[in-house]
Amino acid sequence: MVDFLDELEACVPALRRYARALTRNIDHADDLVQDCLERAISRRGLFRPSGPMRPWLFTILVNLHRNARRTELRRGTHLDADSLPDLGTPAPQHSHLALAELSRAIDGLPLEQKETLLLVTLEGMAYAEAAGILDIPLGTLMSRLGRARANLRLSTGEAQEPHLRSVK
Amino acid sequence: MMDVTRDTMMAYLDGQLDGDARAAVDAWLAENPDSAIELAQLQRQNEAINALFGPVAIEPVPPRLNPHRLALAHSRRRWQSAARAAVIVGVLGIGIAAGWLLRPVTDTPALYNRLIADAVSAHTVFVAENRHAVEVAGTETDHLTSWLSNRLGTGLAMPDLATAGLSFLGGRLLPAPAIPGGRAAQLMYEDSAGERVTLYITPSAGIDGPNLELVRMGSDNALYWASATITCTIVGPQSAETLQALADSVFAQLTPAATAPAYREL
Repeated sequence: MVDFLDELEACVPALRRYARALTRNIDHADDLVQDCLERAISRRGLFRPSGPMRPWLFTILVNLHRNARRTELRRGTHLDADSLPDLGTPAPQHSHLALAELSRAIDGLPLEQKETLLLVTLEGMAYAEAAGILDIPLGTLMSRLGRARANLRLSTGEAQEPHLRSVK
Repeated sequence: MMDVTRDTMMAYLDGQLDGDARAAVDAWLAENPDSAIELAQLQRQNEAINALFGPVAIEPVPPRLNPHRLALAHSRRRWQSAARAAVIVGVLGIGIAAGWLLRPVTDTPALYNRLIADAVSAHTVFVAENRHAVEVAGTETDHLTSWLSNRLGTGLAMPDLATAGLSFLGGRLLPAPAIPGGRAAQLMYEDSAGERVTLYITPSAGIDGPNLELVRMGSDNALYWASATITCTIVGPQSAETLQALADSVFAQLTPAATAPAYREL
């Protein structure tokens, strides 16, 4: 049981990062992570200890986020996409303006593309692991990933103006 | 020359290719500068996403997301709800027995006993909550006073128990199932050790019973009293003496004109 909780604790920073990127709101994100941890704790009897912890937690988190979004849409409320995002302190080599633009572009992606893109790029998950979390075939994962990247390039203007890219 | 597909490019970008496959893509990129540029852009996109959200993972984690703490609250909640459910059944049993022994006009347990049971049950449900313990926060005292006074149909001030070391968390409106169509106000307080006390207040019209009564309920005590206008049940883990002192203070603030009744223990 202590092992279970320690393992859970080790996953919290990554869950917060992913939730923050999905919601762009620190309170919504942490509420989501808390719900996720509470589910995990109350369901630990059903959890196979031999199975890896991380994909299981991300599956719970993704489903909770989808449920919360559905409830919001049904209520007719929505998160204010123009409000200032609660970002971490960005690394200095990227300009704040470009990052804010990218953040808005990610927010504009269809949810399924956003979920996929962030699992792979932000969480560094293997394709098979991400596909398992989202419960989709590998081919679907690849096509969502490709579309997400193409959409971001379009909405941040990179596809048209490759010469504007800064040197890292 | 092999043809490198979009999926292979992405797998290269995401570090999901093994040595041979990587080398093949490297060789292909050397001869296809357009694709190399596109890949560099995607690479920058990846880095920017990590620059945006990566730092979240090194922020200090707020205490409410500590799994050990959540697990403790979870098991405490489960244990408490089981124990308190048993206690509530016991209290209702006492009420039924008292009702039978005293042979009142009705067959149901005396109304005040059901109020006490409702107060304990509401206490059990809401003190376990962290984020949703109250409906209106204690900082909005004026709003709470006017809102709850309106709903209960009787003037209700928010008692200040700071001298007893209790801070006011806020309140909520609840149904009072013991009274047909009845309403109750629950006010919640917390001491420095995090122990919570609730006041369960209803109008007293039509309620017969003792003026003051103390019921021990497992780990909690419930102290009930009634004045000409309201009934109030104080529920908390504190000792009978502490609750009695609290009751005196609450009584003086809610019904300044009357004197506090002496209590007897059930």
